[in-house]
Order: sequence, then C-alpha cells, then structure tokens
Amino acid sequence: MKPMPDTEPVRLLLVDDEAALREPLAEYLSRQGFAVSQAVSAAQARTILQNETPELVLLDIMMPGEDGLSLCRHLSEARAIPVILLTARGEATDRIVGLEIGADDYVVKPFEPRELVARIRSVLRRAAKAAPPAAEEELFEFEGWRLDPLKRRLTDPSGAMVSISSVEFRLLMAFVEHPRQVLDRDRLLDMVQGREAHLFDRAVDNQVSRLRRKIEADSRNPTLIQTVWGGGYMLAADVRRIKVPT
Amino acid sequence: MQRLMPRSLQGQLLLAIAMALLLAQGISAALLWRAQSDRREAAMVHAAAIRLFAAGREEGLFGGRKFHSRDLPPEARRLRVERAEVSPLRTGESRQDDAEHELKEVFAEQGVELKEVVVVHRPITENADLIRREARIAARMGDHAPPRAREQMVAAIHTSDRGWITVAMPMRGPDEGLLISLLGQTLLLYGLLVGAIALIVGRITRPLAALTGRLEQFASTRDAAGQLAPQGPNDVRRLIIAHNAMEHRIAALLDEKDVMLGAIGHDLKTPLAALRVRIESVEDDAERDKMAATIEDIVRSLDDILSLARVGRPSDPREPAELKALVGQVADEFEDMGEPVTFAPGERIVAPVRVTWLRRGLRNLVSNALRYGGGAARITLEREGAMAVIRVEDDGPGIPEGRIGAMMEPFTRGEPSRNSATGGAGLGLTLARAIAEQHGGALVLANRRNSDGSVAGLTATLTLPLA
Repeated sequence: MKPMPDTEPVRLLLVDDEAALREPLAEYLSRQGFAVSQAVSAAQARTILQNETPELVLLDIMMPGEDGLSLCRHLSEARAIPVILLTARGEATDRIVGLEIGADDYVVKPFEPRELVARIRSVLRRAAKAAPPAAEEELFEFEGWRLDPLKRRLTDPSGAMVSISSVEFRLLMAFVEHPRQVLDRDRLLDMVQGREAHLFDRAVDNQVSRLRRKIEADSRNPTLIQTVWGGGYMLAADVRRIKVPT
Repeated sequence: MQRLMPRSLQGQLLLAIAMALLLAQGISAALLWRAQSDRREAAMVHAAAIRLFAAGREEGLFGGRKFHSRDLPPEARRLRVERAEVSPLRTGESRQDDAEHELKEVFAEQGVELKEVVVVHRPITENADLIRREARIAARMGDHAPPRAREQMVAAIHTSDRGWITVAMPMRGPDEGLLISLLGQTLLLYGLLVGAIALIVGRITRPLAALTGRLEQFASTRDAAGQLAPQGPNDVRRLIIAHNAMEHRIAALLDEKDVMLGAIGHDLKTPLAALRVRIESVEDDAERDKMAATIEDIVRSLDDILSLARVGRPSDPREPAELKALVGQVADEFEDMGEPVTFAPGERIVAPVRVTWLRRGLRNLVSNALRYGGGAARITLEREGAMAVIRVEDDGPGIPEGRIGAMMEPFTRGEPSRNSATGGAGLGLTLARAIAEQHGGALVLANRRNSDGSVAGLTATLTLPLA
C-alpha cells in the first residue's frame, strides 16, 4: 500500500478501549500515511473532538461507559463526521443498528488491515463527493428493483431480498449513480476499488456476469446491464432516487 | 375397544368413576328391590296369619273370643277361608320355607304351637273367586288399579281338631311405580354424582392442559413472556408456579449464556484483531499469508462455536429472499478462492429465511464437500412441493451408513484422528443442521450409489419451507 498522494495527511480519530488493538492499529494506519489520534473511551474522544476535527472516526462499539453507538449518533447528528464502526459481533442486527444510527461503514473484528484502509478511503471518497450525508436515507430504484446503499440491500420487484457480494454492490452502485452512461472497464474498476480489489481487477467481466445472473430475467440476453461495443457496460434503465423515512 | 378407551386423564378418571358408581348404585338398587319384595311377602304372611287365626277363633280354637270382621286389618278381612281334611299341598309343589317359618312364628307369639303349616305359590287361574275380585278392583280403580296378580299365595295350617284351614290371597307383582321411582332415583343420583365429578376433574385437568400447551410453546420460543397464571386446585397451582419459576430460570440462563458468548466473542476477537494488525509488519509475504490464514481459521472456529450456541435463539427476523442469488453468491465465494464449485442456476425461488444464517449453513456444507468429498462440489436448487431443496453433492467416499447420524453431532469429523490439519472445529454439519431446523426445514445426508452399488459420493440435502 502506498501512502495517500495528498500533501496533507488525512486526520483520523481511533476510539477503542483495548490498548492491545488500538496501539498497533494506530501504528499501522500511520505507516499508511494517516495522522492518527487515539482515545480510550467515548468521553476522551469527546474531549479530543473539542479541539480538533478529524476527517473520519474509527469507533469501537463495545466500550465501558458510553458505548460506541451512542457516540456514533452524536458524531453523525451534531458533527457530520463520517464514522466506521469496529465491531466484535458479527450478527446482522448489530450491523444494521450501527448503520441506521449514522455510521458510514463497519468492519468486523478481526479485520484485514488492508481492507480497513480500503474502507476508510472509500468512505472519504463518498464523503467528499456527496456533501450532505443525508443521502443515506436514499434508495435507488430501477425497473422495480431497489438498492439500499446504507444497508447494502438489493430487493427485486416482488420485495424479496437478493444477495449480492460487496463487489457486486459497489458495481451496482456505480451503475445506478450513472444510469444510461457507458462505463468502460477502467472506469468501473476505479469506481469499485475496494477491499477485494485484488480479485476484482482480474475479472470485471466476471463480476458483471454474476450481477447479471442475479438481476436479469435471462442473463444470456441481458436487458438491464448491456454490453456496449468497444468495451464497456451500461445500465439501460432509468433510476429514481426515493427518500425513505428512517 | 382400544379405540373407545379414553387416553386423557380426564377421560380415564371419569370413565373409572362412572363405572364404579354404576356398579355401586346397581348393587344398592338391587338390595333395595330385594328388601322391598321381602317386606311385601312378610306383609302377606302376616295378613294370612291373622285371617287364619281369626278363622280358628270362629271355630272355637286357640281360646279367646271371636274376632269381629272389623277387628281385622282390611287386607285380611276379605280373604276367603276354606276347610279341608287333607293338606292342600299337591305333589310337585315347592313349599315356601321362609314363609312357613314366619307363619309358625306369628302363631307361636300368640301362644299357639302349630304342628304343620304349608305355604305355596300357585297360578291364580284356578281360583275363580280371586280372579273375580281382581276384575272388580281393576274396574273400580281404573288406571289407578294395582297391577293384576298372576299368582296366588296359598297358606294353610293344620289343627288337630278341625283339620286344615286354608286361605288364598293374590300375589301382586312388583309395583311399577316403585320400580320407576327407584330407577329414577338411581339415575338422578348417578347423573348428579358424575356431573359433580366431571366438574372437579375438569377443574384439575384444564389447567394441566393449559400447562402442557405452555410447555410446548416455551420449548419452541424459549421466551418467558406469556406465562400462565396459577389456577386450579392447590396441587396444580403449585405445579404451575414451580413451572413458571423454572421457565424464568431457563430464560435467565439462556440470557446469561448470550451475554457470556458476546463477552467471549469480544474478548477473543479483539486480541485476534490486534494480532491480525501486527502481522502486517511481517516482511515475508508467504509467512504473513500463512499467519493470516491461521488467524482466519481460528476466527472461523470461534464463529462456528458462537453461532451454534446462538442458533436456537436468533435475534434477527426471517425475510423473503431470493434463493438463487443467495446460493449463487456462496458458490461465487468458493469460485473466487479457486475451489471447483459448480452451481447450475434454475428458477427463481423466494423463501422467508435468515440470510446470514442460511449462507453460513450453506458454506459449511460446501466446504465439507470440498474437504472430504474428493475435491469438487456441485450445488443444485429446486422447488419440490412447498419446499425449496438445496443439494450439495460430492464425489468422495461417502459416509459409512452407521456413522451418518453421528456426523451431525458436535465435534465429530469423518476421520477419528481429529487431525487439525483438515481444519474446522467439527461443527460444520451440526451447525448446518441446526440452521435448517431454525428455518423449519431439515438437513439429510445420504450416500449416492452407482448402478453397481458402489458409493458414488455424498449428497447433503437441505430443505427449507417456502412459506
């Protein structure tokens, strides 16, 4: 991993009561080119936040005293600072709860450090692009299909949930954010760079065909995601953005 | 007979009590009936004795003055007395020993010792006088007449001076009114008793039935909410109270277990996360990858153990999900790791499932097929009736028929050596089955056979209800 190309290092705040994890993680992130402040509790984090404004907060959920979810709510409501939750529990409900109260992403311990870095960059990219984080209340709808960017959920026209991998999710996000535009392989690769990037760059076509199998009525004659002559793909559908009350 | 036998406590108790009561009341009614007819017979003997005594006085026997007919009781007054030199007993007639004894007693009480008495029952038909009298009574009393006598009682005493004095009187059958009232009384009592007992038994068994229902509910939800209020007789009331206390205790233990597992998960995963971060500083790529793989193995085992402990009390609801995409995604994951897993997608099938759980169960089945099944796995998804059927096939040696059940038990592996190089905590199938059952479905393992009978491989069949 090469350091971020920016001249000014990105400032992160890492909140975790476990020194055994916090210290090596802070060290690792510094090596990756981030400027990392550390807090052992939500209370200390609040003190630090009075003096500095990090660009992103990494937040442990299970901490003595005020827990991570409560601080997360405060950060997203009052400070509009993006949050990535670090959680030891892997149950689906915890994830959804974390995202519903305004976290931008989560990783389940133990996570791959490189994946965490990829997620940090991805969240920062999104935060830079979409100024109002209220976009989290949005759903994308095309041909009856609905994509919930917050919960990473895709539902078909009947409302049934359709499992997609995180690569497929990001690929679909790229399509619904650019409907009826031709996206060539390099562009797609750039937009969905994420944790499984090493898998992805080998097989954009493969990922597209997997996505087609899930959303096309007949994946051999795709109507939604069309192949464009000259090397690219296009979502051939109109996309509506739907506000849903949270 | 077996079918008519009630199986419930209420039915059996009621049947036993009703039978015993019927028997007891039958005996008591029969005794009553018997006493009644004895009394009737005794009254007739007495009437005959008085009439014979009066007849004797008229003849100047037994001493004392003559009776006036008004001195006689009405039933004795009308009896006609006959005299004869020979005994009225005919050959072949059976004498009424009890009545004869009674007759002698009555005379003895008056100080008269009789040498011989005869009492016999005869058909009334040969006594024209009695038949006439019966007809008169019937004509006079109409509907209220006593039943017509069919027999007569002939009583005779032998006096040394005057020979035999005989009196005949009609023997009335049992009074129908009496019979009816006796029957009615018995039935009324029977009905009242059985009714009262049915009420009591119902009061005992109703709360028991409610408790049974509650137990069944608790066994499936393991939630202490919605407990029964103590009811019924004291014993049952105490049973319900004890059961409620036990439910609370079980629910508390389960909650405690969940909290403990959460803590264990947290306490183990945090140092593992720290370790995972630290190995990034290992320079040797190959070495680092091995370390990462080891950590991943530990995490997978830990997740299996935590999941197995939680599988019975999932916190997330079921939601409709498209199974083709779900199975496809699991197949893709293995494909991405370079594993030979094939999935031939068929029709779209939507079923209410817990996606995270089902995906985990499916992953376990596929990695099992890859690990023990000769290297390749095939997945199929079909709709069969009201079930979605997912089959994971391999081409391995299968499982010896006798070991199939044991394979589903926790911490069991195909090879008994428990060689940790093959990975996993031995919970894969246990967890997969528990997940199938959590969804109301089932997991069945079966060997697939070639036409020559040799094992072609193992098929794991996961069925899930579509609704």
